[in-house]
Amino acid sequence: MEIEVQLTGSPIAEKISPPRLAAHGAWLEFRGAVRDEENGEKISGLEYEAYPEMAVREIRRILELLAVRHPCLAAKVIHRVGIIPVGEAAIYVGIASRHRAEAIALLGEFMNQLKQGVPIWKRRALPVEAVVGRVTPCMPVGAHPAASGGQRTARPTLPSLDEAIAEIISRCQQLPAVRAPLAEAFGRVLRETVCAPEDLPPVDRSTRDGYAILKNDESGTFQVVDTFHAADWKPRQLKPGEAVRVATGASLPCKNLRVVMQENVERTGDKIRIVRRETSTHINLRGEDLRAGEPLLHFGARLDAGALALLATAGNVNPLVSPRLRVVHFTTGDEIVPPDQTPKPGQIRDSNSVLIRGLLQNFPCDVEQAHLPEDFERAKSEIENWKLRVENADLLLVSGGASVGEKDFTRQLLEWLGFEIVFNQINLRPGRPLIFGVNGGASVPASRLVGSLAPPNKIRVAFGLPGNPLSHFVCFHFAVAAALTRLTGGEPPKFLRGQLAEKLDDKPCPRETLWPGKLEISPDATARLHPLAWANSGNVACLASANALVRVPINVGLIGADAEVDFLPTTPIISGRAEV
Amino acid sequence: MRVLFFAQTKDATGCDSIEFAAGAQVNTEQLWTELLKKFPKLAAHRANVRLARNWEYADADVQFTNDDEVALIPPVSGG
Repeated sequence: MEIEVQLTGSPIAEKISPPRLAAHGAWLEFRGAVRDEENGEKISGLEYEAYPEMAVREIRRILELLAVRHPCLAAKVIHRVGIIPVGEAAIYVGIASRHRAEAIALLGEFMNQLKQGVPIWKRRALPVEAVVGRVTPCMPVGAHPAASGGQRTARPTLPSLDEAIAEIISRCQQLPAVRAPLAEAFGRVLRETVCAPEDLPPVDRSTRDGYAILKNDESGTFQVVDTFHAADWKPRQLKPGEAVRVATGASLPCKNLRVVMQENVERTGDKIRIVRRETSTHINLRGEDLRAGEPLLHFGARLDAGALALLATAGNVNPLVSPRLRVVHFTTGDEIVPPDQTPKPGQIRDSNSVLIRGLLQNFPCDVEQAHLPEDFERAKSEIENWKLRVENADLLLVSGGASVGEKDFTRQLLEWLGFEIVFNQINLRPGRPLIFGVNGGASVPASRLVGSLAPPNKIRVAFGLPGNPLSHFVCFHFAVAAALTRLTGGEPPKFLRGQLAEKLDDKPCPRETLWPGKLEISPDATARLHPLAWANSGNVACLASANALVRVPINVGLIGADAEVDFLPTTPIISGRAEV
Repeated sequence: MRVLFFAQTKDATGCDSIEFAAGAQVNTEQLWTELLKKFPKLAAHRANVRLARNWEYADADVQFTNDDEVALIPPVSGG
């Protein structure tokens, strides 16, 4: 069953198209709206809170389990959070199936289970007097005023870092899984749980070169009746007084044996005598490493070299994995020249193309790059040549054209391409003019899509990245990487705790800061962070040594050496993702 | 580990999350002991709260480590 789940801070669209599946005969829709009273009191709205990461997973899990009993073709669930005025929908469920019965059954059970286990809460009822305005499009999802004694604080106009990440996580959907041969699966996210197809080892095996005899055989001498090499498999019931010569790794002929190491045996012709008794049986028992049916790798595992080796051992040569992503990257700006050219005064070399290509190396994807003229009409005609590739891309990145001065360029371009802009600035330094857009979500009518080739239910994601390389680096690691992991079904990047190796000398800033740093692991395994010097977001020098971003809270300024800080690793080897 | 609070548990603690370094591994009982030390008001909710580990409901015999994201899930009311 195709499943799509969204949490949103915006109103749920009035009309949502069914998926384009030839086989479906039924399309069942349910909307749960906010009633005008709660516990006998008249109200004007309800405020909902969610644990977005878990809510999305639970909804998906419930649907997957229900689909076993009620085989439906597709399900789409949208839950709204934040303040919802009376009469508007808090939840939308759409189910496609071959016939109506299974969709109706699945819907009923799904709603019951949602109300029992999905971490979403009605937080408070708004009395009738309260004025409920339209909710801003950037309503924070699952982000709360931290350390403010639980009181509600005035919401800043720009989304915070946490709010931006939560929006990205809730708006990006897992792409459908594909089967890929092992040789092409490196770096993909496993989208099934793979179990051991048989006991491992499949038979009892000797772990020594020696002689197998019955476990409780106390005979003085033994007759050697056969010889087993590592690849041999010759079943045979041993009798008391009999021994079989076995090599390390050889399959044993029957149960209830022990192996006596050859060093502890005196051999004369076909007879052996045990000269030293041992306590160990030197046998690797059948199923001792793994029992048939036991999970080898879980859903969501990132396939590294070791995981691939395990899949090969289990004979799973075509695992179900995340698809290889298609990425289109446009650079903009008339001041940009290719890196092999000498810039004239006022021009700079393009470093973003190779930076983005390098950063994308951690995600199996095909990247196509091109430069756009800094004129909206000319850029549009250039993109016409790219239309098919842009429509088929899972992720569109546009460098530059987002800061003050030309701020409407990238936004206009994305809107023209059918993207709904979720936010176009965030309260962060560097990286404030970050634009995030989605296309194919519930609130985008199919008519707004370019052409008719893009399937209306497929989510595509776009970022407008502020033009300078440091902002690119920062925005890639907290925003683009979060989107990529959501699309593939992996774990989003996680902030970790570390210690400042030296003081971080900043002036108090009304925006949160992600400060480039150099991470080293001290001998006692503490993450120590050296803040790197950077004066403005155009600084490129620090990029070559940065491997972490240190989080500096709003209005903090100087942080002393040894202070605990949150940081985001930017190399996959030590990232939270790789450790999970 | 990061421990997240939602709904009534957030009201009880006055914050939405805390970071704390537990031992190498802690079980449910040890985690609650630590949490109640910090936030005695949570005691009133304990009977109704389910624990989640890394975005999934945790079993009774779960062991939490410092890499985990743990969440206190009071009775839900979505839909």
